[in-house]
Amino acid sequence: MSGPFKGVGLASPLLLVLLGLFLAPVLLMLPQSLHEYIPGTGTSEAWTLQNYTRLLTDDYYREIIGRTLWMGSLVTFLCFLLGYPLAYFMARTTPAWRAAATLLVIFPLFLNLVVRSFGWITLLANRGVVNNLLMDIGLIDSPIKMLFNMTGLVIGLTHIYLPFMVLMLLTAIQNVPRDVEQAAATLAASKLRIFFTITLPLTAPGILAGSILVFVLTISALVTPRLLGGPAYKVMATLIYDEFMQKLDWPSGTSFAFILTAITLLIIWGAGRVARKWSGGLA
Amino acid sequence: MSARPTILLTATAAAVLVFLQLPVIVVALSSFTETSYLTFPPQGFTLRWFGSVLTDPDWLSAIGFSLGLALLATLTSMVLGTAAAYAISRRLLPGSDAIASFLMAPLVFPAVVIGVALLQFYAHLGWRGNFFALVASHVVLTSPYVVRACLSSLAGVGTDLEEAAGTLGAGGFTAFRLVTLPLLKPGLVAGGFFSFITSLDNVPVTIFLLGPGQSTLPVKIFTAIDQGGVDPGLAAISTILILLTGAALAIAERWVGFSRFV
Repeated sequence: MSGPFKGVGLASPLLLVLLGLFLAPVLLMLPQSLHEYIPGTGTSEAWTLQNYTRLLTDDYYREIIGRTLWMGSLVTFLCFLLGYPLAYFMARTTPAWRAAATLLVIFPLFLNLVVRSFGWITLLANRGVVNNLLMDIGLIDSPIKMLFNMTGLVIGLTHIYLPFMVLMLLTAIQNVPRDVEQAAATLAASKLRIFFTITLPLTAPGILAGSILVFVLTISALVTPRLLGGPAYKVMATLIYDEFMQKLDWPSGTSFAFILTAITLLIIWGAGRVARKWSGGLA
Repeated sequence: MSARPTILLTATAAAVLVFLQLPVIVVALSSFTETSYLTFPPQGFTLRWFGSVLTDPDWLSAIGFSLGLALLATLTSMVLGTAAAYAISRRLLPGSDAIASFLMAPLVFPAVVIGVALLQFYAHLGWRGNFFALVASHVVLTSPYVVRACLSSLAGVGTDLEEAAGTLGAGGFTAFRLVTLPLLKPGLVAGGFFSFITSLDNVPVTIFLLGPGQSTLPVKIFTAIDQGGVDPGLAAISTILILLTGAALAIAERWVGFSRFV
């Protein structure tokens, strides 16, 4: 066996698994989303677009979509804000410190998501660690509500996706040629100026890639929003979960799943275009 | 130009690293509390909660179920993923780049959407609650890590070594097994580790596919918190997971210098 036959033979088992258990099931959901849900009996025979129009016009659902996108933006921005200094430190410190910091960054990444969210419940609850501490030192009189609202979701999700951002930024910063920075220093540019005119712009593709990854993962996160937001404070993924598991309204849940997918794919496609434009500009 | 990080930068980086460990420390310490409710700092010191969790047959069966699932999904991913990565890397089939992108797609595709899609698919086929169908669904989620790690390892292994082995009379598979595979080992170990952790961590796909009476460890913790809130027993089981993850990470790091593959 040689050439394409060998290649097809080697790649096809995994390809078949992904075609059969990823692509096909997702596409096969499409008809489900085009029928009306009738409580008790299942779905109607007639075809309709009403699941989609309802989700996009009803204020309740629009608020959830808006909240999800706002949450994604906040988490992405915070990951960048906290991640850049850490990644910059890791890129510039000694190899031994870099290795130690890398392990501290990837340890929480590998720790069970449910366990990490659990930790944040303990920290952020009304009688939790943070509120007790703030009350003990007299900064506040009554607990600040940090669970079941945007504050809790953003803190928890920033913690969860920060390692991804740090690792992306670290690679980007390490790829900045040091001699360009040194040339600027020779020409008496200040450290701040070197950072803002050389390092930051040269790491822009890494910032974009990291931000897209964090945003996309945040808007589709289920576990952390559910545990830190509770059943009432919903985002898109927890709404899909409830439509399927509690309300058994599969057509609605499916339509929402497609809207989430469409947003995700649109963002990845858009970022890909921007990235190509940037690399085209350099060449 | 001085390359050393300034004190301000070092302090900021240290603060962010502390932030990253914060929930881990809190969960681990509060699992030793003597109170029947969860409190931090813990009151007193007891291993009672560990004892009660580790003698509870429900928790033990969830642990066993999760480990079996993760192990089977990882082994399958490693075999299928290595084969596919080899074909892509050696350009043995047309459209290699498109195929590679497709194989990586589950990394960014909303997991909850894969979950509900498989729920409907399996419900239709009567596969819901079937252990092997669950393993197959985890292969979708875990194989991208193996493919990615193998592609990055294979990029550094030229074809000339395999050709040399061929000249010396080794057939295609023998050459792969004796020459390429040992060179791939670090990537495979790293990819396998990612794969195992990903399977062991998964809730958004698994929770839709479990049958009555089945539970994985994270789904069981998730459901317990979602329905009844937090207690020291949950902190104890979480601490066990923290220790296992830490140990596995340390072993993988010593074995293959794993942080290179992240």
